[in-house]
Amino acid sequence: MSMEQERKLKNGNLIECTNVCKAFETPEGEYQVVKDFNLETRENEFLVLFGPGQCGKTTIINMIAGFERVTGGSIKSQGKEISKPDPSRGVVFQSTALFPWMTTMGNVEYGLKMAGNKKAEREKRAQKYIDLVGLQGFEKAFPVKLSGGMKQRVGIARAYCNEPEVMLMDEPFGALDAQTRYLMQEELQRIWEAEKRTVIFVTNNIEEALYLADRILVLTNCPATVKKEYVIDLPRPRNLVSPEFLALRKEITGIMDSTL
Amino acid sequence: MIKKKNISDKTINVACACISIGAFLFLWYWGTAFTKLGMLIPGPVEVLETVTAGFFGKVGRHSILVHVGYSMIRVMIGFIVGSVFGIVLGLLMGWYRIAEAIFNPLFRIIRPIPPIAWIPISIIWFGLGENAKIFLIFLASFSNTTLNSMAGAKNVDREVVNAAKMLGANERQIFTTIVLPASVPSIFAGLQVAISSSWATVLAAEMVRSSEGLGWMIVAGMNNNDMLQILSGIVMIGVVGFILAIIMRKAEDILCRWNKSGN
Amino acid sequence: MDMKKQKNVFYLCISVISVAAVIALWYFLINVMHLKSETVFPGPLKVFYTFLQKLQTKAPDGATLQAHLWASIKVAVLGYGLGALVGVPLGIAMAWNKWVDRFVRPLFDLIRPIPGLAWIPMFILLFGIGITSKALVIFLGSLIACVVNSYTGIRQTKETHLWVGDVFGATSGQKLFRIAIPTALPMIFTGLRVALGTAWTALVAAELLASTKGLGYMIQQARAISRPDIIIVGMLAIGAVGAVFDAVLHLVEIKVAKGMNAK
Repeated sequence: MSMEQERKLKNGNLIECTNVCKAFETPEGEYQVVKDFNLETRENEFLVLFGPGQCGKTTIINMIAGFERVTGGSIKSQGKEISKPDPSRGVVFQSTALFPWMTTMGNVEYGLKMAGNKKAEREKRAQKYIDLVGLQGFEKAFPVKLSGGMKQRVGIARAYCNEPEVMLMDEPFGALDAQTRYLMQEELQRIWEAEKRTVIFVTNNIEEALYLADRILVLTNCPATVKKEYVIDLPRPRNLVSPEFLALRKEITGIMDSTL
Repeated sequence: MIKKKNISDKTINVACACISIGAFLFLWYWGTAFTKLGMLIPGPVEVLETVTAGFFGKVGRHSILVHVGYSMIRVMIGFIVGSVFGIVLGLLMGWYRIAEAIFNPLFRIIRPIPPIAWIPISIIWFGLGENAKIFLIFLASFSNTTLNSMAGAKNVDREVVNAAKMLGANERQIFTTIVLPASVPSIFAGLQVAISSSWATVLAAEMVRSSEGLGWMIVAGMNNNDMLQILSGIVMIGVVGFILAIIMRKAEDILCRWNKSGN
Repeated sequence: MDMKKQKNVFYLCISVISVAAVIALWYFLINVMHLKSETVFPGPLKVFYTFLQKLQTKAPDGATLQAHLWASIKVAVLGYGLGALVGVPLGIAMAWNKWVDRFVRPLFDLIRPIPGLAWIPMFILLFGIGITSKALVIFLGSLIACVVNSYTGIRQTKETHLWVGDVFGATSGQKLFRIAIPTALPMIFTGLRVALGTAWTALVAAELLASTKGLGYMIQQARAISRPDIIIVGMLAIGAVGAVFDAVLHLVEIKVAKGMNAK
């Protein structure tokens, strides 16, 4: 059975968050970061968590990834409670979190190597994803030699190469300059069209959210909770200045301002 | 324009270096040749002659090169064994809290004692042979590498560790494929200190008890009132120390390539 | 929070148990199993009794532990103080003024690879085994560490910060004392702490070789008459003093750094 078919069989909710809460202990007392957060993913959808500021969104991604534990509610992946990180949930970090002592190839094939795959096989598979993100010719380069956009391409290829069922992206383009950011959004859309996955994508940039999303969850600022949900069914690739796009942008920006 | 300026800057540097070293050598020469200082200290020409003579002839029972060889072999054995132990222990202590709880208190009792202070007890324990000296150099390199490896493992980027977990690495794999390489720059900082500390320690050990090596050479010079032998020994000590530092830096350049931007 | 506290207590217990276990094992192997004779490897109790005894009696090396300790500290502080007083300003001057750098650095690079204790035989021949030669060895050792670290610290000053100074019309002196030196302070303190370690090591080496008093002399004498218990007491005293010095400097560093920030 191919991975593709297998994924289709498990139709339904890959990730399910029910009344998720997260609080941190500080010297001044408990600090609530996430409160009663609910989410259900649909198959192969591009879901964007859109919210202001720094707090809450990253914590949600970290909990879904399994890096942090919930302090209330539950997060399930295919019906099973998430307790630790797992290769079935790939993460793309804002800081890229590449392994600086490994080349592009080394980074991308890392997951396969840890799983004990043979060198020839994992290099073949890694090459496929390096080609997919457009990094042919940079296989032997170390991350210090790559630009910000290229590093994030490596990050995407690395997460993809493990063939996860869900991709979690935590403001992956947040540290890039505007020009590169537009380019990377187009690239991500292309990659996602070529290799469909369920994606949960965090951003605080409204254009980015509208350009990429099938569905947008607008979050409140600390504690984070879902304020409103939008289903975006504009045709892809989206025109950033079409009237529908601009109307949606205005509406969402409007409700954002009132939450601040 | 900028290029031209750089070249002239470099020339000035070299010229200044030549002037200041030349002035120093001249003062040394003049002082020893024409003042009373000459009774105490030999001049640069004599020292240079003694060093070259020592290469072909004998200082004590061996030529200078053999003395260098003795010292180097002692350093190499002690240094390699000591740093391997230090790296392993340091990484374990930096990464696993339980290892830190067990070993750190003991390490903190031992560490402030300079390796040189172990000389008398090591002679009682191991006798006058090579083992005592190698034990001392082991100590010198061990404590420095442990300290730096521990700091390196403690400072591994949590996000990078998370990335490895997300890609399916287990505990052991994280230690060997993430913690170890991420600590390499810090380990190298420790190795740099360790090699110069080992070099100093071997000299001290040879000065206290030995019949060959550069440390013996200078202390025998002292006992025979032979300032020429002491100074030529010091020159060789400086040369070897310099070469050791260069080797370590080159090794770091190669192993930490990924850590440096530029070409 | 409670979980964290509980964990800390747990690890603290492990540390205490670990130290206690090593001492118990030491006692068991030496005093119960008699694996080694106490004239080679004394048990913990014997070391403790020797420590108490050495506080009162002058035998076998002519002075009590306190007297040796005081003799060592006096020389160390003298040599180290001079090294720091010359080394820190010299390092700052070399980093701040390119002409000082051009003329002084070549000479400095010449002596830098030579460990301080390699000068011991020469100084002993020139100045005898008194305080001068020991203080000079320590001076050289601490000078190098102070210069290297102060130099690196000043060089870390950000150019933009100096430009801010220029914009507000700061004089060269103001830029040095208000911008560059505060930036370099952590590195200067690192240098001072490294120098202290080197100074203490060099002193012990000097006392081992030729001295009539001091902790190094004490352990060397104890070796000659095969009293490892005294050696271990001496080593622990050497380690303890080194640790106390380091802790004091660390406290000063925190105080000074705070004062700078408050300004």
